[in-house]
Amino acid sequence: MSFHYGVTQERDWNALSDTEFRQILRAEFEAHYPAELRYAPRRLRWHENKDWYLRMAEKGWIAPNWPVEYGGMGLSAAKLLIFQEEVERWGIGRYQDHGTLMLGPVLLRWGTEEQRRQYLPDVLACKAIWCQGYSEPGSGSDLASLKTKAVREGDEFVITGQKIWTTLAQDATHMFVLVRTDFEAKKQEGISFLLVDLAQKGVTVRPIRDMAGHEEFCEVFLDEVRTPVSNLVGELNKGWTVAKSLLGFERIHVGSPKMPEYGLTVLEKLARARGLWADPVFREKYGALKLDVAHLSDAYNHFTGIVVRGEALGQDISWLKVWATETFQRIADLVVDTAGPFAAINGELEIAGTRIDVLASFYKARPPTIYGGSNEIQRNILAQQVLGLPRK
Amino acid sequence: MTEQNETIDLLRNSAAGFAKFDGKRIRGWRANAPGFDRAHWRQMAEQGWLSILVPEAEGGLGLGVEAASAVAGELGRACAPEPFVMAGILAPALLAQATNTALKAELLPAVLAGETVVSLAWQPATGGLSPDATEITAKRQAGQIILSGEARFVSPAQADGYMVLAREQGGLLLAWVPADSLGDSLVEEAGPDGIPSGRLRLSDLRLPETAVLMSGNRVAEAVQTALDQALIVQSAELCGLMQRSLDMTLDYLKTRQQFGVAIGSFQALQHRSVDLFIQQELARHATAAAIQKAEAGASGAALSQAASSAKARAAEAGMLIGTQAIQLHGAIGFTDEYDLGLYVNRTMRLAASLGNAAEHRRRFDDLSEGA
Repeated sequence: MSFHYGVTQERDWNALSDTEFRQILRAEFEAHYPAELRYAPRRLRWHENKDWYLRMAEKGWIAPNWPVEYGGMGLSAAKLLIFQEEVERWGIGRYQDHGTLMLGPVLLRWGTEEQRRQYLPDVLACKAIWCQGYSEPGSGSDLASLKTKAVREGDEFVITGQKIWTTLAQDATHMFVLVRTDFEAKKQEGISFLLVDLAQKGVTVRPIRDMAGHEEFCEVFLDEVRTPVSNLVGELNKGWTVAKSLLGFERIHVGSPKMPEYGLTVLEKLARARGLWADPVFREKYGALKLDVAHLSDAYNHFTGIVVRGEALGQDISWLKVWATETFQRIADLVVDTAGPFAAINGELEIAGTRIDVLASFYKARPPTIYGGSNEIQRNILAQQVLGLPRK
Repeated sequence: MTEQNETIDLLRNSAAGFAKFDGKRIRGWRANAPGFDRAHWRQMAEQGWLSILVPEAEGGLGLGVEAASAVAGELGRACAPEPFVMAGILAPALLAQATNTALKAELLPAVLAGETVVSLAWQPATGGLSPDATEITAKRQAGQIILSGEARFVSPAQADGYMVLAREQGGLLLAWVPADSLGDSLVEEAGPDGIPSGRLRLSDLRLPETAVLMSGNRVAEAVQTALDQALIVQSAELCGLMQRSLDMTLDYLKTRQQFGVAIGSFQALQHRSVDLFIQQELARHATAAAIQKAEAGASGAALSQAASSAKARAAEAGMLIGTQAIQLHGAIGFTDEYDLGLYVNRTMRLAASLGNAAEHRRRFDDLSEGA
């Protein structure tokens, strides 16, 4: 392969011991990640964390999950887990990272060499920011019912429809999108996966203000938006298979105990400030949650062990997402209870000399049980595919 | 390591082969003293299961809680009534640490052979979990020890002898009290699984001083370690019980027809089943993590914390799965004829014995506060 993706790794990360690798990451994160951005109470916008991610791009650390020959760090499963653990440990906020997290793996698996050469270098340089156009107003849990259509006209697809809940689309330059290309076929079989440049006529991005007052997701209107047929990823009408193949490593990521562990530290800080730390009623609830997190962590270690050994994760990984996200919610709910009247104050506040954002965890804990396949959908999958209960 | 894994697999397989669910046998022993089968107990001893935690130098297998838990999981799946954790793990592990070598030499081989069944008597009516909680007192006088006070929850009640943990001037002692020296001071209390617990009320019971198995500052630590090991193994037995209970329930949901369909096709029941499955998995992983810590040499407070972590989850999950299994079966699940009740009754005993979920959550929290 003669094409160069513009990134060279300074060393073979996998040759390092886990401890050495961890130390290198910690040294970098602790020295250079802006302190005021640690554990941000909301998703940061590109203008807020751009400097950090351009630095990561410069270092060649922007795509830890991609192979070295494509400009990634080429990390093994074990090293990749360490990378994610350290990012979470230091409370480093994500940018709109669907380019590295999702588009890269999709193009490596299904894309053509031309598509990789055209798009991956800009992802690595953070010149292109990608968002994911899946959900539609009428297609949430029943994603395959999506109606946004793409009609071929000469060498182009003409796309019309509406996407919604598109994370940070206002920061994005491009979107990978699921569209209907066959209206006669069974719903999963008429869907294609297209790459779209958002800087064109017919694209309207409207941020949606969420109940926390933040603008983290958007509506994206597509009115006769055009993309060359060379931007079809995988075969025509096989987009569902392409999209489904993205499930894998990220399913374990959403089951990480880091968020609930962080929630427990907020809860402790708050209970101490409110003089409830020794209160037996509080301690009964806190003790139960502490074990909920400890056992999440025990299970997480079991599943990461499977990944590290290079074995395939089974469908049962879905329960980890359910437990992790609902445990975080129970913690956030106890934060609100423990705050008493302070739960009527939004933003960072001061209680007995302690600075704390009571409602941040409450708001942060809501979306994870909905996105990535709602917990109700996860329970359907577990019941039918793991427990073998009959379909209706 | 690999050799040890092979030994553990061997033990698990032999336990799975030996411990088959036998409802007739279980129901039969409920009404018959001592509530379990002594012949069966000797067979378990022959397989080496009572010797697992006993060091090789003491005639045991010198294995750890991982091996003991592998056996206990299979016994749980089979709902075996034999008191494996209390008389097969806790008692031998503690007896092996006795410093009275003459008495140990007399007792331990018979215990490991399954000929002598021994129970530990120490818990007060408050149900305290620490060795210090004992309310039995000991006085030494003219070559004798005199024991007084009450111990509850002695399990199994019908044993050949009891290790009684007592407080004397300046510390704890562990005394060997043969069953035939007790007269009427042991009263039986029925257990939900058919195996009685004992209530021991001693009033100036006199024994020769040679009945002291150990005394001094090592006693508390020895008892605590044996209790924590037993708690981890007990959690594994609970995991076996809950796995079988959930499997029975899922089978029922797949076959029971109402309104013309299998009731397991209803989403409300599917989602509830998943929540039970999650609890089962948490219990399994919490127990596995405790086993791993124990095998890696955790001792003292770290071992206690690992044991409480496992028991808190196993007891909570076991009771939740048991009670929901009854609900999901409907009325048939509440009958004595249907096997599920045997599992729930057994789960109830193990969940409550040596500290229930709430007590272990508290102990876990207290121990991490100190850490």
